[in-house]
Amino acid sequence: MNLWLVTSALMFAIGAFGVLTRRTAILVFLSVELMLNSANLALIAFAKMYGSLDAQTVALFVIAIAAAEVAVGLGLIVAIFRRRESTGVDELQGLKG
Amino acid sequence: MGFWEILAAALLLVTALLVVTARNAVHAALALIANFLVLAGVYIALDARFLGLVQVIVYAGAIVVLFLFVIMLLSAAQADVGINPLSRLTPVAALGAIALAAVLIVATRNPPASQPVGNLNGGLPQAIGPVLYGPWLYALLAVGFLLLVATVAAVALVQPDKPLDALTDEEKARHTPASKEEVRR
Repeated sequence: MNLWLVTSALMFAIGAFGVLTRRTAILVFLSVELMLNSANLALIAFAKMYGSLDAQTVALFVIAIAAAEVAVGLGLIVAIFRRRESTGVDELQGLKG
Repeated sequence: MGFWEILAAALLLVTALLVVTARNAVHAALALIANFLVLAGVYIALDARFLGLVQVIVYAGAIVVLFLFVIMLLSAAQADVGINPLSRLTPVAALGAIALAAVLIVATRNPPASQPVGNLNGGLPQAIGPVLYGPWLYALLAVGFLLLVATVAAVALVQPDKPLDALTDEEKARHTPASKEEVRR
């Protein structure tokens, strides 16, 4: 039982809870960042466990891709807000079947 | 498990809970910064020193500031940034999250024992560099290209729609359907 793996699992679950309960796109996005970081924590705990630098490299890629994702995601949120005067995820029902 | 490790893990969980429950979006983002700073300390303690510094610079320094910037922008425009009013769904989400945590903890409970495959060298840049520019070179190039594309996309997404009377005649002609032009003639 590794303390950091358990912490990472709990952080991931807390982030998932945030994604499910938050009502606005920007706070959902904030919770997604939390989940990404918990995955990074698990990667680095495994890197320490197995002495593998590859895991640390992958964690570096996760950080770089998160930066790209935030730029696009926040651009989308601002664009949606401009068009609809709201960022509530419950109101975005344009694709409702 | 020493005192500092338990303290860091507790801080991580408390700030994570604050991120998902704070009523004020700015407080949630500040709690996320606190979470990332503790996480950077944990990375450094786990022999990932370069990643710890990158965590502070990129995550706490750039990404969350971008979040704060957009939150300020939206709350200045009186956007609604609250938590879910459908509180009857919250217990269901909490149950789901607890189940997810249980599954993840059980799945990682007994990681396969193995000899260390290499030396971390403290995760310093001179240790990560040869790995990053060796076996992972093409992934690195792809990530660089992805960052360029994301920058272009972010700029393209927030271009304002021009109002109709601000368009030049040429642009108007391009946007109006051809049939309308025919009718006018």
